[in-house]
Amino acid sequence: MTLKQKAFTRKVLIYIALIIMAVAALFPILFCLSASLRTQDDLFRNMFPFSIKSLIPTAATLENYVIIFTKHEFWRPIMNTMIVTVFTIIFGCILNSMAAFAFTCFEFRGKKILYPLVLISFMVPFEAIAIPLYSVASNLNMVDTYAGMIIPAVADGLVTFLFIQFFKDIPPSLVEAARVDGAKWPTIFTKIIMPISVPVFVTAGLMIFMNQWNSYMWPLLVARSKDIRTIQIAISQFSGERSIQWTYIYASSMVSAIIPICLFLPFQKHFVEGITAGSVKG
Amino acid sequence: MGGIYIKNKWLPYLLILPTILMICIFKIYPIIDSVIQGFSSADSNFTLDNYKLLFADKTFWNSLKVTLKFNIIIIPIQIVVSFIMALFVNVKIRGIEVFRTVFYLPFCISLTISTVIWQMMLNVNNGVINSMLGVLGLRPVGFLIDKKWALLSIVLISSWRGCAYWMMFILAGLKGIDSAVYESAKIDGSGFFNTMFRITIPLLKNTWLFVLVANTTANFLLFAPMQIATDGGPQGSTNVLMYEAYKSAFKYSNRPRQACLVTILLIIVMLICFVQNRFMTDKEAHK
Repeated sequence: MTLKQKAFTRKVLIYIALIIMAVAALFPILFCLSASLRTQDDLFRNMFPFSIKSLIPTAATLENYVIIFTKHEFWRPIMNTMIVTVFTIIFGCILNSMAAFAFTCFEFRGKKILYPLVLISFMVPFEAIAIPLYSVASNLNMVDTYAGMIIPAVADGLVTFLFIQFFKDIPPSLVEAARVDGAKWPTIFTKIIMPISVPVFVTAGLMIFMNQWNSYMWPLLVARSKDIRTIQIAISQFSGERSIQWTYIYASSMVSAIIPICLFLPFQKHFVEGITAGSVKG
Repeated sequence: MGGIYIKNKWLPYLLILPTILMICIFKIYPIIDSVIQGFSSADSNFTLDNYKLLFADKTFWNSLKVTLKFNIIIIPIQIVVSFIMALFVNVKIRGIEVFRTVFYLPFCISLTISTVIWQMMLNVNNGVINSMLGVLGLRPVGFLIDKKWALLSIVLISSWRGCAYWMMFILAGLKGIDSAVYESAKIDGSGFFNTMFRITIPLLKNTWLFVLVANTTANFLLFAPMQIATDGGPQGSTNVLMYEAYKSAFKYSNRPRQACLVTILLIIVMLICFVQNRFMTDKEAHK
């Protein structure tokens, strides 16, 4: 084999491996999409024995989507999740960036104790504290409220850390110049720091979005009433009902997946940056 | 901006107050509360009875066994598979961005949704996986209802999404390696496996440390797939400690038992992470 042939074979083998892995990653998503577009009868009748019809609808229909939104009021958990997510992003971005600003820009007593506290908090796995946290939420009358889902998720050590990492790299001369001009701290923060920190706000916002949109355990504990349950809870309860049609579950899963996917595709870079921030630099 | 440390009496405290306050209330306090509850009797005196009761319980020992078994299987699988995925996605080849995006996609699907979708796909009677196995002449397998398969099926479900996640960290680590290192290895005539085990893997030390610790923690505390797909069954074969803790609190309303379970779980996780940390740093010292 010549060198050229060897390089070619190597390329082909790499592509084959990539394709196999891509199929494994995509199959459940594509199958879910396909199943959401057919009637349950069509899905079950063609399942055994296996044929191409097991995977592809014989007649595509949007009926499942119509039914989950009308009969099962699926818009309600979506609205709830939106409310929870949007408010957590707003408060999370403001409060965590404020704290990060204080940690990077100011010298103050107790900083050496408080900074590690923030770092420790993002190493504490949420699942471990979720159940005792329920008692806290219950004492604060936050059970079955939006606040119960939003407030405990606002302060996030990883998000604060992300802001700190970014603020550190802002040239001090920018801030000094503004101070010489007599600008007050709130002005410096909102007029100078925030505008050049847009990328890190996007990253932080995406991270919070992902956490809240996909969060399961906490809403399961704290928001069990039907009126304020989130999308993940709605689907898990949906799938637990014996009489429910599978194609409805597939359709609702698709609805819940499509929003994070749509945000992920254009903002991929920010996303990965946010998620890996604590590991690579920390 | 890190250079300018300015003294201001009250402003920094005001800025950090909300975050610190919330971290204390919602993150630090629950842990302390949990540990205390495990050692408290009904009239709030110190007692070891909760632990004694738990250690006399067969369900606990079964859950401990299941938890360890689950993690011994899932942690190496997830780390090896994510590493292989990251290696492939790091190759400079046409169209690789598309593959990278595709590999990330399962991470966008929440664990809840992945579990629900896989649960239907793995169903005995109407599941597409069993239908495809039929082509190979295999009889339908009760993936989630057969004691032999349930735990492995949970491993599959969690890893489908998990590998996409862990791959991101390993890929970030791989990208941090200076390509000059590979160039010189190539000039020295180092083969693929030699380069990988002698250069790539050792250079990723910090990444490994993070991924190992974070992956161990995440998997030891995993409970959503069990709660949704198997309810800890069949015959307790997927009843991990975390799910037992959840049930203690919300099904049996036994808070002290839950507190003990979570405390034990955290101690196990901390011990393992400590050992991993030691092991990784020791290796460094030898060089």
